[in-house]
Amino acid sequence: MILNKILASFTFRFLTIYIIALSVGVFLLLASLYAWLSKGFLDDVHQSVDRELVALEAAWMDGGAEGFDRFVAEHNGPERLSRYFYIAVNADGEKITGTLEHIPPTRSYRDKWLAFTLEALTGEPEDSNHVFIARSTDLADGTRLLAARQYGDVINTAKLVSAALIRSMIVTIIMGLLGGVIFAGISVRRIGAINQQLHQIMSGNLSARVDSESQAGDYGHLTDNLNNMLDQIEKLMAGVRQVSDNIAHDLRTPLTRLRNNLTALQEDTDLNSRKERVNGLIEEADALLATFNSLLRIAQIETGNRRSEFEKLDLKQLLGDIVEMYEPLAADRNISFSASLSPVAPMCGDRNLLFQCFANLVDNAIKYTPEGGKIELRLAQYADVCQIDIADSGAGIPEAERDKVFERFYRVEAARSEHPGNGLGLSMVAAVLKQHGGEITLKDNRPGLRVVINLNLRSLEPA
Amino acid sequence: MRILLIEDDLKVADYIAKGLRESGYSVEHAADGKSGLVKATSEEYDAMIVDRMLPQVDGLTIIQTMRASGNDTPVLILSALGDVDDRVKGLKAGGDDYLVKPFAFAELLARIEVILRRQESNTTQTKLRIADLEMDLLAHKVTRADQVLNLQPREYKLLEYLMRHAGQVVTRTMLLENVWDYHFDPQTNVIDVHISRLRQKIDKGFERTLLTTVRGAGYKLDDT
Repeated sequence: MILNKILASFTFRFLTIYIIALSVGVFLLLASLYAWLSKGFLDDVHQSVDRELVALEAAWMDGGAEGFDRFVAEHNGPERLSRYFYIAVNADGEKITGTLEHIPPTRSYRDKWLAFTLEALTGEPEDSNHVFIARSTDLADGTRLLAARQYGDVINTAKLVSAALIRSMIVTIIMGLLGGVIFAGISVRRIGAINQQLHQIMSGNLSARVDSESQAGDYGHLTDNLNNMLDQIEKLMAGVRQVSDNIAHDLRTPLTRLRNNLTALQEDTDLNSRKERVNGLIEEADALLATFNSLLRIAQIETGNRRSEFEKLDLKQLLGDIVEMYEPLAADRNISFSASLSPVAPMCGDRNLLFQCFANLVDNAIKYTPEGGKIELRLAQYADVCQIDIADSGAGIPEAERDKVFERFYRVEAARSEHPGNGLGLSMVAAVLKQHGGEITLKDNRPGLRVVINLNLRSLEPA
Repeated sequence: MRILLIEDDLKVADYIAKGLRESGYSVEHAADGKSGLVKATSEEYDAMIVDRMLPQVDGLTIIQTMRASGNDTPVLILSALGDVDDRVKGLKAGGDDYLVKPFAFAELLARIEVILRRQESNTTQTKLRIADLEMDLLAHKVTRADQVLNLQPREYKLLEYLMRHAGQVVTRTMLLENVWDYHFDPQTNVIDVHISRLRQKIDKGFERTLLTTVRGAGYKLDDT
């Protein structure tokens, strides 16, 4: 039910609250406007009564009752006739002259202001024309002068204004509500469409996208962002698929070999050669296990926040340990392994992983360098950057493959058959360096491979 | 030697128990944390193998409870998680060693033997001796048949570790952790090269070979 959706939608709720606030605001504004207007009207009335009384007094002083009558006659134009009334009474309260019969009973308010009502003046009882504001003045001889203005017109004007204000308030609220429903309806429909498409995408069709053509403005941005996110998810999924394809492909070979060896074992009757075969099988299985462990470790390094493992370390000493560990292996293969390590500033890192990283690189260098070749390891600091160079005189890596070698299981084709390995060593290196914010570049050493690693010391500063 | 095995994965438990029995240990098995804790605190064992993730009471709690009550039976922790962090937590809780699944049985056996032996030989020694090979820990001097052997510092450390665990199988990982002090996975036979260098120095020219390679497991320094 679309109406339920509209009523439940955030936009509608937001608009309802907005309208309530708006109504209160409009009400307060109109009320103060009304108060201000009425005060202005009343002040006008007071001022005009004051003026009339002053003029009346002057006329009285000037010409007594006749002057009074003259003034009244002059001032009571047809338009003023029904508005202003005057009376003069003597000390006993008897009328001397004027347009009122007598001084009616008055209420006084605000100092010297008088108010009174005359029922019979116009003969229209519900008319507001019989309410008056008056002011009187007592002269020295006991005569009392009174000027009155009926202010029904003012009240009428005020009533008109307030009615108009109330109406406009109602219109504001109605318009706001209508607008709210319409906007909520539009947003419910648009978001509903997006949600529906997302549902379809989530239920399997990952290559579909949210229709962004029909969405403009903010909704357009939203759908664009959703689509970008979906692109990334698809890319990641493809990556995962490729990795698992690679795993399946690269593990099939050793598993097949394992299986064939087991078959051979089944048929083998000689006890000694059986034992030999079992040992071979165990080694084969161990290698498989090692591959899985490496995979898991790389995944752990890539996903986990292992910065918590970071500790202060001396890279020079760490590389020294690498040299110490791998020098005998190189010497065994008649490869000269030389190192020139300059002291560098202390840094923060995971010493075990960094050791693994450099061990993998040196191990590769030894593996791919022919007998009689040479390997050089260099450590130097340039400003904030630690540079580690591992150069060998081996076969090197063709330029086109230099990016790919960091992918899991990728192995340079020529190396595949000649050298053992699981194709995970450099993936591990890349993962460790990424975690340490380092950069790795593979260069041509003519002949051989030169691995250049830059570690930014500023981001690895010990705490 | 009685060993208590607390492990909820019955296949793994069977595999370990069978292997240990074949190696001459008597094994008791508890399949969950609670019964494991009851057994560990009510009976005497020479060593324990405790899985970290257990139903009811987890492995680290068992070890902490034991240690708190003054029970210092050596414990080997098993875990599916290989994080260094986990390893530190396990050792801090009072474990003596830590082994990550999956593992080779040889590795487990070697480590069990080491923690069992650790109990006995904790006395401060000044001299280690295997047959006619002798190491003077104070003078940092190694002799075989009174002939002084010239060892590099790392070779000395390697030999010291092997001598301290004489007669036991020492795995490559154990050597990496204890002699080189790095937890890492060497891609190649880098340890073998160090061992063969050491062997050159201590065994070459002598009739009896002391340092042998145990296939599929590691190395052993022995006088038999």
